[in-house]
Amino acid sequence: MVVRWTQCAVVSALVLLMWPAVAPAVELDGTSSTYLISRKALDDSNLLPLYEYLNMSVRDIGKESISFQFGGWLRYDLRDDSTNKNTKNDLSYAYLSYRHAESNAVVNAGRVMVFEGVAAERVDGISARTDLRSGFGVSAFGGAPVETNAADLGGNNVIYGGRVSHTMTDLYTIGLSYLKEEKNSAKFREEEGVDLWLKPVNKVELLGKSTYNLEASGWAAHTYNLLLGPFAQVKLNTEVSKIDYEKFFVGTTNSAFMFQPGGLIDPKEKVSIYGESVSYELSEKLNASVDYKKYSYDIAGNAGYYGVRISYSVPKSMATGASIHRMSGNADRLSYYEYRAFGMKKFGSADVTVDLLNVKYDVAVNGVTNAYTAVLAAGYELSEKLKLGADLEYSKNPDYDKDVRAFLKLIYRFQSSYGKGKGV
Amino acid sequence: MKNIKGTVMLLLLLPLLAMVLYACANTKSIAAWHPVEVEAPAICSKCHTDSRSAMDHTEDYGTRHRFFAMQNSQTCSVCHKEAFCSDCHAHKEELKPSDKYKDSPERALPHRGDYLTQHKIDGRINPASCFPCHGRQNNERCKACHR
Repeated sequence: MVVRWTQCAVVSALVLLMWPAVAPAVELDGTSSTYLISRKALDDSNLLPLYEYLNMSVRDIGKESISFQFGGWLRYDLRDDSTNKNTKNDLSYAYLSYRHAESNAVVNAGRVMVFEGVAAERVDGISARTDLRSGFGVSAFGGAPVETNAADLGGNNVIYGGRVSHTMTDLYTIGLSYLKEEKNSAKFREEEGVDLWLKPVNKVELLGKSTYNLEASGWAAHTYNLLLGPFAQVKLNTEVSKIDYEKFFVGTTNSAFMFQPGGLIDPKEKVSIYGESVSYELSEKLNASVDYKKYSYDIAGNAGYYGVRISYSVPKSMATGASIHRMSGNADRLSYYEYRAFGMKKFGSADVTVDLLNVKYDVAVNGVTNAYTAVLAAGYELSEKLKLGADLEYSKNPDYDKDVRAFLKLIYRFQSSYGKGKGV
Repeated sequence: MKNIKGTVMLLLLLPLLAMVLYACANTKSIAAWHPVEVEAPAICSKCHTDSRSAMDHTEDYGTRHRFFAMQNSQTCSVCHKEAFCSDCHAHKEELKPSDKYKDSPERALPHRGDYLTQHKIDGRINPASCFPCHGRQNNERCKACHR
């Protein structure tokens, strides 16, 4: 069940070999994104990595219902002093997909991404879903988890789970989901959850999720949003979350989340988050919003994040906006002001972007309180399929007195003449 | 022993699969691709009056798109290819989405500018917001400091 690079390459090759035989029916489309970046590392060494991102989909293989999806990237360092030589490529996803004409039934096999209730996973294996009678739905997945460090462990690594849902059209969808993961042949995670979308009356929607950690025997998190409106041009979005760190941060491969007693974050911390966002549509193109988020900790005290934003955009033509936000932590060293202004304008086949970001820290970090980044980007569509872009980023921040980065990109969108690629 | 356990599991799953197939709704699946081109940002409620109207891609949609993805990812795939998700939801990513899409400053992409310093504060305020993307994946760079 485990799909590695070589296996995916074999599958890719098979698909391409099959192509001539089924070509009249096949639709092939994708994007090749080539990036060349010039910058300095923290130790002042020069970096010049070249990246190639390839995303591709081959649809209607033999039958209309079968497709193959592939996405991955490769990095080649053009200078010897580039870092992170150990990671030079990654397979993001690669799977064969069967989509039935009825019941929204889908089966994917390979390296798949699974978003089903408590599961937001990347799995080398299989996932499937279908609608059942009377508004019910069911999904299941299983395979080897694709996670950082997973390959370092010698034992059996398995992940599986599923979700059962019920939908009453236009009123609610409720789901119950389950996930279990074994790492190195030992239980690593076991979670179950409830997810909800509810629209009791027009202009009122509630959506969210609760996750119960079976491994730690307790509720890890509740996160719910209440959307109200639009009333005239006003929309309100209220967020309420409760997170228990001891139950939430179980099962990680990142030591940043392995909190220790006496450390910066108490492992037994609990936080309640209350957020409110009010947006006002001044016109179809002009939008203004105010947002506020309060963090109430059981142990650490309180913090807040609030600000205003205004934006004006004309699709495929221009976008401009500005925002001011304040992060007010429970200590001065955890507080800053954030200012941003941006603008993008298209001129025929060309486009120009300016993006300015300024962060003012209440307490200096490495002697710096005022960090800013300025970006100037330009692009030109050489044809409908080919776009060339370049940008220059200048930054002064606590880690760099002067950081200049150049970014060149070439985007090529390809598609077979037999069909028309769609979507983004 | 493991093989026996696996075989028993398989034998139990097969009738379950048969029951699922029998119970399938047999209604027509939603379109594989949106039948008409949608101009970004997609305001679904312009045409849809059912549950899809909740998926209006307004400026704050980025903060709640996860709820729709975990309940209704097949609707997302009517307009979005997998690559759209994997731009941010990556396994081992070295480039920030905001670097790849500097020509789309209006998009709510994470970690603009010098986020190296800012993450030390944001991570203290709400580490749970970092966890979904960096808890088990996409954290090789974290190890440079978080050993």
